[in-house]
Amino acid sequence: MAVMAERRAMRAPMTQRRKEIRRHLLIYAALVPFILIAVFPIYWMAITAFKQDPDLYRMDNIPFFFNMKPTLRNFDILFYQTNYGSWLWNTFMISAWVAGITLLTAVPAGYALARLKLPGAENTGIAIFLTYLVPPIILFLPLSRIVAELGLQDTWWALVVVYPTFTIPFCTWLLMGFFKTVPMEIEEAARVDGCGQAGAFMRVILPISLPGVLTSVIFAFTLSMQDFLYGLAFVSPGDQKPVPVGVPTELIRGDVYYWGSLMGAALLVGLPVAILYNFFLDRFIQGITGGIGK
Amino acid sequence: MNEGRPVEIYPTGVNRRGFLKTTGAGVAGGALATMLTARQAPAQIKGTTLRILQWSHFIPAYDTWFDNVFTKEWGEKNGVKVRVDHIPHLELPARMAAEFAAGAGHDIIMNAASILTRLYYKSLLDLSDVYDGAGKKHGGWIPSAGPLVQVEGRTYGIPMFYILLPMLWRKDLFDANNLKAPDTWELARVAARTMKAKGHPTGIQFSQCADANLNWRSLLFSFGGREADETGDNILIDSKETREALKFAKALFDEGMTPEVFSWDDASDNRYLASGVACWIHDAISAYRTTEDTNPDVFKNTHIGMEPAGPDGKRVSVSSANVYMIWKFSKNQQAAKEFLTYFLDEALEGMKQSRGYNMPYLLGQAKKPMPVIGTDPKMQILQDFPKIVAFFGYPGPFTTPIQEVVNLYVLPDMFTRVARGQGIEDVMKWGMGEYRRIFAKHKRA
Amino acid sequence: MTGSSLRGGPDPVARAAVVSMPARTVARPWLTHGARRLMFGYTLLAPAVLYVMLLVAAPFLFSLYLAVSDANVGDPVAHFIGLENFRAAWEMDLFWLALRNSVVFLVVAAVLKSLLGTSLAFLLLQNFKGKKLVRGLVVIPFTLPIAISVLSWKWMYDSQFSVINWVLSRLGLIGQFGTEGWPIWLGNPKLALIACILVNVWRTFPFSAIVLLAGFTSVPVEVLDAAKVDGCSFFQRFRHVVAPMIFPILMIGFLFDTVFTLSDLSVVYLLTQGGPANATKILPVLAYQIGIQAGNLGRGAAIALFLVPLLLPALIIVLRNLKRREY
Repeated sequence: MAVMAERRAMRAPMTQRRKEIRRHLLIYAALVPFILIAVFPIYWMAITAFKQDPDLYRMDNIPFFFNMKPTLRNFDILFYQTNYGSWLWNTFMISAWVAGITLLTAVPAGYALARLKLPGAENTGIAIFLTYLVPPIILFLPLSRIVAELGLQDTWWALVVVYPTFTIPFCTWLLMGFFKTVPMEIEEAARVDGCGQAGAFMRVILPISLPGVLTSVIFAFTLSMQDFLYGLAFVSPGDQKPVPVGVPTELIRGDVYYWGSLMGAALLVGLPVAILYNFFLDRFIQGITGGIGK
Repeated sequence: MNEGRPVEIYPTGVNRRGFLKTTGAGVAGGALATMLTARQAPAQIKGTTLRILQWSHFIPAYDTWFDNVFTKEWGEKNGVKVRVDHIPHLELPARMAAEFAAGAGHDIIMNAASILTRLYYKSLLDLSDVYDGAGKKHGGWIPSAGPLVQVEGRTYGIPMFYILLPMLWRKDLFDANNLKAPDTWELARVAARTMKAKGHPTGIQFSQCADANLNWRSLLFSFGGREADETGDNILIDSKETREALKFAKALFDEGMTPEVFSWDDASDNRYLASGVACWIHDAISAYRTTEDTNPDVFKNTHIGMEPAGPDGKRVSVSSANVYMIWKFSKNQQAAKEFLTYFLDEALEGMKQSRGYNMPYLLGQAKKPMPVIGTDPKMQILQDFPKIVAFFGYPGPFTTPIQEVVNLYVLPDMFTRVARGQGIEDVMKWGMGEYRRIFAKHKRA
Repeated sequence: MTGSSLRGGPDPVARAAVVSMPARTVARPWLTHGARRLMFGYTLLAPAVLYVMLLVAAPFLFSLYLAVSDANVGDPVAHFIGLENFRAAWEMDLFWLALRNSVVFLVVAAVLKSLLGTSLAFLLLQNFKGKKLVRGLVVIPFTLPIAISVLSWKWMYDSQFSVINWVLSRLGLIGQFGTEGWPIWLGNPKLALIACILVNVWRTFPFSAIVLLAGFTSVPVEVLDAAKVDGCSFFQRFRHVVAPMIFPILMIGFLFDTVFTLSDLSVVYLLTQGGPANATKILPVLAYQIGIQAGNLGRGAAIALFLVPLLLPALIIVLRNLKRREY
């Protein structure tokens, strides 16, 4: 009897661990398809970027591995025969400026809508959201006029002016969420200590919400890379294009696709952005959470 | 500041020079005119900038030559800073719309395949003098050039070159199967039928892409079909010849192709050839060049063939037109006009730099032997194409309703429906309905 | 906040105003704490509102004008023609087809995204090693620039070299190349739309998962525990406790997604251009082809704007509802 009780006692922690392992395995098994779906195209892009052209066009070749020696030729074409270097720089500059502009407009707006109980705040919030309803294919014509009047046509500054139209609304809403999560007591305390309205905002609320602010900055940064139509319409010189416009327009000539270089170009931009995004994912979730429900 | 209000200022110098050019040509040949031109030009356009927007040529070396050698040399000789921008030809219409809306942009803009000159003519510079001058100097234009760019007797664009879509066929496969060269569509069909069984089918795009618009019209016109009459007002699609062409296309599909052709875009037939599968394709010559780069074995055995003849021996090759235009809002119209004139004069150099692809519209420049294609034994046949070249709307002009018909892929859709099994009469009714609707809409507007 | 101003408030200026010169404060209403708050608030709001007004509202009004005029790219002068463009669009068979395709696209994509997003969100809720890494990996489709990821898919769907087909055919699930069993993703009218939808889902389901995750984590643990104590099963907990709490977040995510999907041009344009045989022609693509490529701006604008009057009231109603729930 005692032996059996002892045995049972010994078994208990082991089963617990086994349960834990089993749970882990199940979760991993369930996750595999998701990871595959999400990541496979990246692997594909990476392989294609290093493949020689003839390797791509043989039906009997295995697509997943190198059938001919891998080559850096596609990257060579990318950096020496196209303006890829300029594209990278332009993309970075555009995204930085757009993130900055979004910061300067959406942060105050988000705070005002979230905290200051302004009359008409509700409707303004809705109205800002509604701007997404207007299709870009319509907007790009009058915007073209505006861009030309500003003298910015065919420079990447045109995009710096235009992109905030789709980053500001979402970031405002995101920031509203973040600001709502800051407890009122902190703000009250700041006021008691003698800060004005503006003081409370600048010196107390902002530092606390810094993660949220950073998240929306990152979001604006990456959203700037999702555009195709505006870049196409407003920027034609090769050295002014950002990567998302330059790649489809100069690596596809007539009906000839330079797949290797296309994929290489995509990879060089996509991976760093993905890594950057990863760091801020937690805050991103927090912001969305705060936007509703709390 | 550009208001979009057209202000046409023709300095007297231009008219004088134009006169001198034509008489010069008559008196002492082109050389004198060129000398006079060169002497006059710098004074008026020196120190200005010229901006050109054109497509990304599928021969990258051509773009390098154009940007860094050709325009630079002309620019230096005339004291003009030239800047060339490239976007894919499919995006040129969007860019044109944007520049039109903005009232600002490039000085010279180009269209490839989708020629919008007649659509935008009110905002384009009248280039009749350049057009007529070049015609006189170089032995005249091919007949289908004018209708591309002329509205109410005035010319608003300069057709610079066109790209041919010949037959590209695998001589080794044909020989191995004792087949005759695909000189007629019937022979092509027999070849496809024989070789599909051996794993070498053919393919023509049954889809909504630029090549489909071109290829099916070549077939249709070679069979005697017609799109619109010479005035461009009357639709002539509904005919016995069209039905023959449709029937032939269905047979060709059933016997010689696989269903993947329904998903093809402009580049798919290139890949088909380069992968060694296709026994023949009917495609832009770019396919010939990419195969040279990606599959030298296949390239060795690929031959270029004449446009196949229809049942009555007729051959019509619908080509991809390229037209250059100048915006009315351009601040440097004079330099633009002079550049275009120079470009026309040097068209054969452009042909050489494009490895033989840019075919000139001027008859004087189409005399044999032509650069590159005149000397390459496989390419010599291309020199016979200028006689049979046509564009959308044949035998009528490329009007605005035809423009919309092309943009909505009505004709390729007709062929696709037939290939998918829809009855010919149903398809004719549908197609005619679409044509009529579009033509009526433009009459109303 | 208003309460504190009555007391003279923490704001020393306001306090001073109230204490020293009560009569003066009444005569200068803009100096009250409340008024200053409003001024401050509107000043903060101004840049964003101005930007949006100038660069979105104004062009939008212009496009409304385009939609009711006979504007054409060739003609600098346009005339008012009322609802003629809308009527002409109405009459086009192609328009109704495009509308149908757009709606099908939206609904199917939404269903797939919800399924995939929910499953993934649940998985990500669990605690396991490597969770951060997995989350980072799974978000990648959303962060790649759209033009580039769509082109990669185009190559993956290629009629000859499709790697998807290669894998499936080696697994024996589909036929060999050249036979009927080899799916031509972008060429078969029956498959093309779903192919485009799959690309859209691939791109955005991580976003749905993240939004859902945010929602799930926002449910206070105490409430969940209380429900557990009360003996609710997992599904009961989900239906009665979690779902209502995350409903607002779901709604917002769903709305953003609807708007983005309906107006997205890039995926279909780069994959199929609206073919084959108009199987994937959705409203933005049709508007683009008619408005820009064929030059008929008025008609293009009418087609593109068509859904706006339908979505607008729906959006407003939903958003108002959500706001009310929140307070």
